[in-house]
Amino acid sequence: MDWEFISNLLLASVRMATPLIFLALAELYSQRAGLVHIGLEGLAAIGSLVGFLVSLITGSPLLGVAAGAAVGILVNMIYAYATINLCAEQIVYGMAINIFAPALASFIYRVYFGAGSELVQVALMRSLAAILGVTPQSFLLKLLLDQPPMVYLAYALVLFTAVYFNRTKSGLNFKAVGEYPKASATLGINVIGVKYAASVICGALAGIGGAYLTTCYATTYTDGNVAGRGFIALAAVIFGRWSAGGVLLACLFFGFCDALQIRLQVGSYGIPYQFFQMIPYIATVVVLALIGMKKAGPKGVGKPYLREER
Amino acid sequence: MKNNSKLANFLVPVISILLAFVIGCVIMAVLGANPFVALQSLWIGAFGSLRNVGTTLARSTPLIFTSLCACFAYRCGVFNLGGEGQFLMGSIVCCYIATKSGIEGLPAILLCLLGGTAAGGAWALVAGLLKVYRNQNEMIITIMLNYVATLLMGVVYTNWLRDGSVPQTASVPDADKLSRLFGLRITSAFVIAIAVGLLIYYFLFYTSKGFQLRAVGLNMTAAEFNGFAVKRYILLSFIVSGAIAGLGGSAELLGTQFRLINGFGAGYGFDGVAMALIGQLHPLATILVAIFFAALRVGSTTMQAATGVPTSVSDIIQALVIVFTVAGLAMVKLPQFKAFLGRMADKTQKEAV
Amino acid sequence: MDEFLRMEHVSKRFGDFYANRDINLSIRKGEVHTLLGENGAGKSTLMNVLIGLYQPTEGTIYLNGQAVRIDSPAQAVRLGIGMVHQHFMLVEAMTVFENIILGDRNTKGIFINKEARKKEILELAERYGLDVELDKSITEIAVGAQQRVEILKALYRGAELLILDEPSAALTDIEVEGLFKIMRKLTEEGKSIIFISHKMREVLRISDRITILRAGEVVTTLERSQTDGQELANLMIGRELAPSHYGKVEDPGSPVIQLRSVDYHKDSKHAGLNGVSLTVGRGEIVGIAGVDGNGQSQLAQVVTGVLTPDAGEVDMKGSKVAQFTPHGFILESVSHIPEDRNKMGLIGNMSVKDNIVLKSTDSPEFSSARGYHLKKKAIRDYALKMQEKYDIRCTSIEQETRNLSGGNQQKVILARELEGHPDLLVAVHPTRGLDIGATRFVHDTMIEARDKGCGVLLISADFDEILEVSDRIVVMFEGQIMGVFSGKNPPIEEISLAMAGK
Repeated sequence: MDWEFISNLLLASVRMATPLIFLALAELYSQRAGLVHIGLEGLAAIGSLVGFLVSLITGSPLLGVAAGAAVGILVNMIYAYATINLCAEQIVYGMAINIFAPALASFIYRVYFGAGSELVQVALMRSLAAILGVTPQSFLLKLLLDQPPMVYLAYALVLFTAVYFNRTKSGLNFKAVGEYPKASATLGINVIGVKYAASVICGALAGIGGAYLTTCYATTYTDGNVAGRGFIALAAVIFGRWSAGGVLLACLFFGFCDALQIRLQVGSYGIPYQFFQMIPYIATVVVLALIGMKKAGPKGVGKPYLREER
Repeated sequence: MKNNSKLANFLVPVISILLAFVIGCVIMAVLGANPFVALQSLWIGAFGSLRNVGTTLARSTPLIFTSLCACFAYRCGVFNLGGEGQFLMGSIVCCYIATKSGIEGLPAILLCLLGGTAAGGAWALVAGLLKVYRNQNEMIITIMLNYVATLLMGVVYTNWLRDGSVPQTASVPDADKLSRLFGLRITSAFVIAIAVGLLIYYFLFYTSKGFQLRAVGLNMTAAEFNGFAVKRYILLSFIVSGAIAGLGGSAELLGTQFRLINGFGAGYGFDGVAMALIGQLHPLATILVAIFFAALRVGSTTMQAATGVPTSVSDIIQALVIVFTVAGLAMVKLPQFKAFLGRMADKTQKEAV
Repeated sequence: MDEFLRMEHVSKRFGDFYANRDINLSIRKGEVHTLLGENGAGKSTLMNVLIGLYQPTEGTIYLNGQAVRIDSPAQAVRLGIGMVHQHFMLVEAMTVFENIILGDRNTKGIFINKEARKKEILELAERYGLDVELDKSITEIAVGAQQRVEILKALYRGAELLILDEPSAALTDIEVEGLFKIMRKLTEEGKSIIFISHKMREVLRISDRITILRAGEVVTTLERSQTDGQELANLMIGRELAPSHYGKVEDPGSPVIQLRSVDYHKDSKHAGLNGVSLTVGRGEIVGIAGVDGNGQSQLAQVVTGVLTPDAGEVDMKGSKVAQFTPHGFILESVSHIPEDRNKMGLIGNMSVKDNIVLKSTDSPEFSSARGYHLKKKAIRDYALKMQEKYDIRCTSIEQETRNLSGGNQQKVILARELEGHPDLLVAVHPTRGLDIGATRFVHDTMIEARDKGCGVLLISADFDEILEVSDRIVVMFEGQIMGVFSGKNPPIEEISLAMAGK
């Protein structure tokens, strides 16, 4: 355990935490409007593929991310319509999205590249340091500068979210919808509107979280590359007690676990690498088991909102 | 009223399947294939000959197990998304017994199936205990355990039971393989799957315990007030559903795959969830849905050969069916929709008069 | 006096059913105008029309002489109509302050200017004598305080007309006094109040005018000074009031259940029990009177085995209860009509038939082979018998109970709970939300069970119900027993004081 190991580990933690932050914030916005969304895994999968394709075609990872966000919104509108207008069970419909979106992603990939084609790779998004043309040496500078722009976006979003929910009128109304939609409606808050807004934000963030994986992390798309992050993000929201700051810490922790497993694999002495890969998943289970779950989180989550017209 | 909702429960999936096929055909047409030729070859591939029917049923076997796994758990209000992990744990233990125990033949088969069943049940029990005693979200836990099981299987076939240079385990001995039926691909595993389905059907609808388990699943608070041991039923549902998946994993290993290898059982868990939901948690309907989707997959290979449409179009169709079915079932429950139906009924009545 | 609101020929129809028909109503500035009517008389529908949740099928609403369309709650707020719902519309996870400014459209800017808003709110609160603590969370304050928050919320939105829906239902007498003071203050300042209640005493005290609704129509509007309680009651029900017609039992049999100094979360005033001692004997009905949320739910759940007490002893038919489980109490022949029939009593997605036999599928009558084979025909026949005996109105016994009316749902529960001749029946709010016919049926059934030797513990927030059927009346306040009174010629004044904690 030397300093280099630790500093690399910490740098990697930040990188690994970023997609989780996007996904967990997606979940946070959705739940704050009363929509529990277990379909993030699927949204991220389609976001990841579209991000990859657009980045490949245009040569711009940034456009890839934007496209990922767009497709995330698009697919999440299916979820929104089914759960908000048709009052479908949120859990069940989230599961439907988890089955639908990855199948779509996989299909598009097959159709675009044909069967058995060779591995296609894209250039990753450059780090801020590379864009500025500097090569940071110290740990702190690396931490601050040697990150792709998406990392800064993630932290900016955390800050924005914290301010939004705690300091703004609109944020207060948003939270009220997730807590007690009927009361919100009597106060003239547009409940359906807020729920749709939440779904747009959720879709966009989940799409970005997926696109991060193919524009900033790995150079290619493979089926199943989201690897449970959609569900870990769900755990991060619970762990983070539904606050932006808490969610950030939870994501950093899970990101750290992910970074740790990669680092440990390198120096493993005859231990099968899969055991290290289990770390993030087992950590999630252990964390959830330790904190237990008192009835917390927005009260209106999971319940359909029907306008009172007989 | 009751008849109406029964009719809706039947019509919604059927309409969803038709809709999904229509969209599937549009996709095929866009890809430059003739949808009619494609559908024809899909049918021939799945049911065109006795041989193909056998293949379809063999392909449906693991799906039946995982969908029954999901179905049983949901009947008790437990959202077990861990069918895949439980399936894999079953197959891992089964693989050990088959290749390492030194026993062969029927006793080995029985031991293998039993071991796999126990392993699946035990793996699900982990999530069950966390839900019951730590009030944890079973969905996240079971998903995480899926990844752990997949990785553990990776250790087994790349390391512990690796056979030669290729990352896979040795084949189970011929004497341990499940017998094929009528010289087709289908094996006695299919018979076991159907038997399990019938057993669950009987348990849920013809026994007092099954009745109480369903009551727990529909309204936990009321079940508790009425004196049912809610926690025990929840644990039971985890164990039994996991055991079904574990049995499926063992049967798949002994009947079809014979060795653990990368991709073994991949996706079966979520497939099972989808099929249970489309089958509306009715064990027998769920079996039919599983056979239907297996047919789609088997047929899509023939379709690809004939028209060049990639096989994954069948995944799209399956995904669309679930998207439509769940939305459709929610829609027919909406008060507005009921009112709409009522108005239609009034209208036809008036016109008849 | 000027008129603030006028409704002309307003009707609201659902399908073929008129919830309101040809309503004419005028509310003056600065008056307390009471709407009096039984459950189902159309009060709620009318108010939902006023606050924009429903659109009237016919008719016109005038505000200050101008015809208006109230097509959303937001529009109602803009027009100066505010409502305090019986079940408060407060977000529990938020503070008083946050609840008041929620949905605010009057102020500019994106951010919440806490200091400025708080100042405004406190000024408003002072003006109308509404005492609130802005930084407390809703869960931390008492029901009376929550109500003040609701009123303040409406005033903050510029309400000129306040609709108070059964505001005294959950309040103690003292809190009701406070409420009336506030109402007077509001009307002095020119606000109008629509007061919805069926507590005659309060109606007579506070109203300026009274409009009586019956079966969706206005019967008449009277000046308070020109009427009395008897006339109002007759107009409301449409016939003469009958006094209690059940005989009262004075010598109960041996004790069925006995509680000695039972504690449960005893520091919680609204959801705990503090040293409760109580006996229910065979063949008597013990009525627990008290304002909702003074430990009654917990009492019911202790005597049915759902909750385990922290301290104290419970004897069941003379022997001490060691383990508290619903199953154990059911084996001791304890029946339970729970307070929330949909949540606790029925499996809504199961059929009438299944709910009737819910507790007894293990018995040899309904299954063979130790529960491994259900006797479907026996279950069906039994359910049909019960359907007839308890007059359960459903399309068939296969109908799901969630689609039944409240009264019929309660009958399903009665059929299940009373048919086995229980030793103890615990009935919590058994007639809440039921119409007169169904209420009478439930009362008759309880009396019948009593006369067969069953001990009945009746918990109800409806004081009239307690007086009607109880042989003994026990008053609970903040988790404690305040007094025990005879059910025959009960001292009403004393009981009322006890319910207020004195």
